[in-house]
Amino acid sequence: MTTTSRVDPRAAAATTGVRRRGRTGRTTPAAWLFIAPFALFYVAFMIGPTLWMFIASFFNTSTVHAGLGSFAGLDNYLEMFSRDDFWSALWHTLQFTLYTVPPLVLLAFVFAVLTNRAARGQWFFRLAFFLPFILPSATISLIWVFIFTPANGLWSLPAQLLGLPAGAGMLADPGTAMIGIAIATIWWTIGFNFVLYLAGLQDIPRELYEAAAVDGATPWQQIRSITIPLLRRTTALVILLQIIASLKIFDQVYLMTGGGPGISTQVVLGLITDTAFTDNRIGAASAASVLLFLIVLVIAVVQQIVERAGIARERAS
Amino acid sequence: MTATDTRRRRRSGVSAAAPARAVHAGGGGRGFTIASTTVLVVFAIIWLIPSLFAVKTSLSPNGVAALGAQEILTNWSPTLESYTSLLRQGDIWNWYLSSALTSVITAVLTLLFASMAAFALSRLRFAGRAAVYLLIIAGLMIPSQVLIVPIFEELRLLQLLNTYWAVILPQVPSVIAVFIFKQFFDGIPREIEEAARVDGAGLWRTYWSVVMPLSRPVTAAVAILTFVWTWNNLLLPLFVLSNPNLMTIPVGLATVQGTFGLRYADIQAGAILAALPLVVLYMFFQRQIVEGVTGSGLKG
Amino acid sequence: MTKRSVDPARRRSATQVSRRGLLGAGALGASALSLAGCSTPLAAGLLGADLAPGTVVYWNLFGGGDGVRMQDMQQGYRDQYGADSLQATTLTWGNPYYSKLTLATVGNQPPDVAVAHLTRAKPLWDGGILDPITEEDLAGVGLSSSDFAAQAWETQVTDSQNIAIPLDTHPFTLFYNREVCEPAGLLDADGLLVDLTGMDAFEAALEELSAVTGGLAITVANVSETSTPWRFFWTLYNQISDATPFLSDDGATISVDEEAFLEVMERVRSWVDKGWLNQGLDYATSQTEMFTGSSGFYLQGEWEISTAQSIEGLDFGMAPIPQLYDQPAVQADSHTFILPRKDRSAEERRLAMQFIKVMLEQSMTWAEGGHVPAYLPTFESEEFQSLEPQRHYAAAADHAVYDDAAWYGGSGSTFEDTVGAQLGLVQQGVLTPEQALQAIRDQLQIYTSTPSPL
Repeated sequence: MTTTSRVDPRAAAATTGVRRRGRTGRTTPAAWLFIAPFALFYVAFMIGPTLWMFIASFFNTSTVHAGLGSFAGLDNYLEMFSRDDFWSALWHTLQFTLYTVPPLVLLAFVFAVLTNRAARGQWFFRLAFFLPFILPSATISLIWVFIFTPANGLWSLPAQLLGLPAGAGMLADPGTAMIGIAIATIWWTIGFNFVLYLAGLQDIPRELYEAAAVDGATPWQQIRSITIPLLRRTTALVILLQIIASLKIFDQVYLMTGGGPGISTQVVLGLITDTAFTDNRIGAASAASVLLFLIVLVIAVVQQIVERAGIARERAS
Repeated sequence: MTATDTRRRRRSGVSAAAPARAVHAGGGGRGFTIASTTVLVVFAIIWLIPSLFAVKTSLSPNGVAALGAQEILTNWSPTLESYTSLLRQGDIWNWYLSSALTSVITAVLTLLFASMAAFALSRLRFAGRAAVYLLIIAGLMIPSQVLIVPIFEELRLLQLLNTYWAVILPQVPSVIAVFIFKQFFDGIPREIEEAARVDGAGLWRTYWSVVMPLSRPVTAAVAILTFVWTWNNLLLPLFVLSNPNLMTIPVGLATVQGTFGLRYADIQAGAILAALPLVVLYMFFQRQIVEGVTGSGLKG
Repeated sequence: MTKRSVDPARRRSATQVSRRGLLGAGALGASALSLAGCSTPLAAGLLGADLAPGTVVYWNLFGGGDGVRMQDMQQGYRDQYGADSLQATTLTWGNPYYSKLTLATVGNQPPDVAVAHLTRAKPLWDGGILDPITEEDLAGVGLSSSDFAAQAWETQVTDSQNIAIPLDTHPFTLFYNREVCEPAGLLDADGLLVDLTGMDAFEAALEELSAVTGGLAITVANVSETSTPWRFFWTLYNQISDATPFLSDDGATISVDEEAFLEVMERVRSWVDKGWLNQGLDYATSQTEMFTGSSGFYLQGEWEISTAQSIEGLDFGMAPIPQLYDQPAVQADSHTFILPRKDRSAEERRLAMQFIKVMLEQSMTWAEGGHVPAYLPTFESEEFQSLEPQRHYAAAADHAVYDDAAWYGGSGSTFEDTVGAQLGLVQQGVLTPEQALQAIRDQLQIYTSTPSPL
């Protein structure tokens, strides 16, 4: 974490004369008062809903009626497992992951390495690559849907100028709609990986490069033998975060294709909200939520393990 | 954390470009530098094109925008018509109000509650501390988007649907904010607050008048990021706000359609208006935002 | 599970805490209220206050030409009752619209009046989202059931209650390009399409048209489009005598007549094979083909009249879809006005009804968009009866066949999406009719085997 532990030296200096007392301290029951407000919200909007989701997944809960509804047993889960569109939604999620992760990792790495080397204009590159990341998904989607306008949109301009056939349009064709969403997403979110890599690059001691340069290593050799190995942990982090983000993808799909054409870009969160708020089936939607929840949880646990292992290794070395 | 220290030293001290230049001097590769700069500039331009194209479209008359990209790029007749017509309608002001209010209130509540919790976890010893800490760590792994359905049900039960609170309250418990604060607090020497306590300050005063004032950079980062996340959130407000007067700007843009067919310039102007406050924010707080995002890698 | 009876008492949540009270007690409290005034979004957003007392809040889903005409009609209301008398919002069409309507009602802030397709009003009613409209409500603004087209009116009556007030009927229709039909010998002395009743007469006409265009005779959208294949199928299917409903028991049973299904879809395939019907065209292109004379007929809802009229130099006509099998029938739906469930004072009810009345009185404006008015004073008027080309297909409304009632059915619904997608694939030649039927059964199984959540 880069924002941490910046201590005002003046403040620290001012305390040096103070006698140390009670370093071990007593227990402070009043601490609970400090925890309480956060804990209240945490229980109300994280723990509570999680438990409720598990419970509702065993009932025929309806959006338009109060209460849990009749008991459904495992029906909602069996239904999800038997639904083609549930599996296809999972597949689309995987497909989206496969389309976005390699470019997001590779391009972000290249952009970061090159930006880090750039002698000037760093602010410009940060602006170009990072700014889209903090814009609303609604803005991103409206821009890209317009770019992908069939026949005369910006995307078809090169083809148009070369006199190639226009085609149905990136988002209108079930075969390419997910690619369109992936392109917009890469443009949108690369800034996140970009700054992670930049931060990682700045952790690499420059002495390493200097030593390598003295040994006559070419820039390419330096990248291959110093940069890439030392950024391995960042890369692992980036990939895992990307997979988790992909699993939770909703905005771009909802806004750009609504899951279509047909269900060719429907993803799990879209399926969940459709089931809950269009079919009015909260119970079935909860079962799907639980399944997605578990998948994300597993990957998040893996992420924590990877990260902790990384930290431990770093401490050890 | 040793990594943090080195990074901090670099960031605040030597220019980040320095090591690279040193390398060039030694390792040669002038050609490599030219090639890499070219590649970088080309990609940066590619990355800017969508935004610039949107801006250009939004500044074109609707009639021109309807004719396609070629016409938009070649026809130079800039007009603010789309912006003025959008701003004349009441909707977008309501949406701005909703977005601004929900984002600010969420940011304030998040800051306050997360920093208080972090203060207790970092500074105070109490029975159950380890358990609380574990529970909160677990929260890092809960994908909050997946909870949209139960949160909707809960808000309905609380009769909070179609109020700003429906957007604000579920976003307040930000585990990542607690972590960012806790890590910062861990780095503040204990002597400072102990001195305060010797002077008779209570816990609250220690937190509020001693610790928090020392934490301005981290507070700013958390505040800005929470603001940005709340502003950009689509999923939650999309389903808990169905009254068009109360929608946040991304939801309004996604839900309410213009009545006069496809007015592309208006649509792009709307997209830009939704993003504008964030662009301004970026201009002023670039460093906090970039560092905050880097530090919060976990939020995803 | 049986459909739950509609018990008005149960509909209002028993635990209904005073919303304003609960919120008012919350953090910001009274100071914000006085700051915000009473009917601003701020007060509504923070305190759950009623947003606009005395104003009719109205939602619709009309874009394009319909949207423009609806704006005119809204302006008509404002002209009579003041600029602040109405707050109208147009939301995105289809499932998201009905989803928003449900969530707003569940979330205590529905509009006073909303537009809904008749086929979607029924699931909303079953879900307890609608207030019934009584005879007194109608009488209060000088309306009665006899003011409405029988087919539409009778279809909206559910559980012996009026759930929706029909504004129009919008049947699937046949558009024809005179410049193609003329050389094919399909126009009479007045330039109208000759009678094409009967399969033989119709197929002969297609053959003629194909000869003129050197290719397509008729276009029906079937790529990236699910509703149109469904409308096409449902029209022809219901022309076969004794064809059973597609769905029964509110969607719990698939009761489609297999023989009739296969007959219709094999017919569709044979037209594609003969080169008369397009194999794969999206919505816009299916239109353009007819507009540019690459095809003679084009099937779509009558609302495309606005698009056709905007094409310079296009000489087109419209007709009911001919009776090809045993009886006349045409797929249709109606735009209706509904009253979402909410606590209303008598005055608010009257205002809502008054708004609906004023909209109905402007049915002539609406009819220009191709829709057949359900409001008989307009339908029977000299003005409408002489409106070209509307008057030539208006009779189709008498043979309107609505989608079967199902909790997942209706215009633009999951049902139409699922079935329409498979039908479109048959036309594309990707699936045989048998495979499509099997796929439909498989995919609908989730819905037929699930208790209705309504």
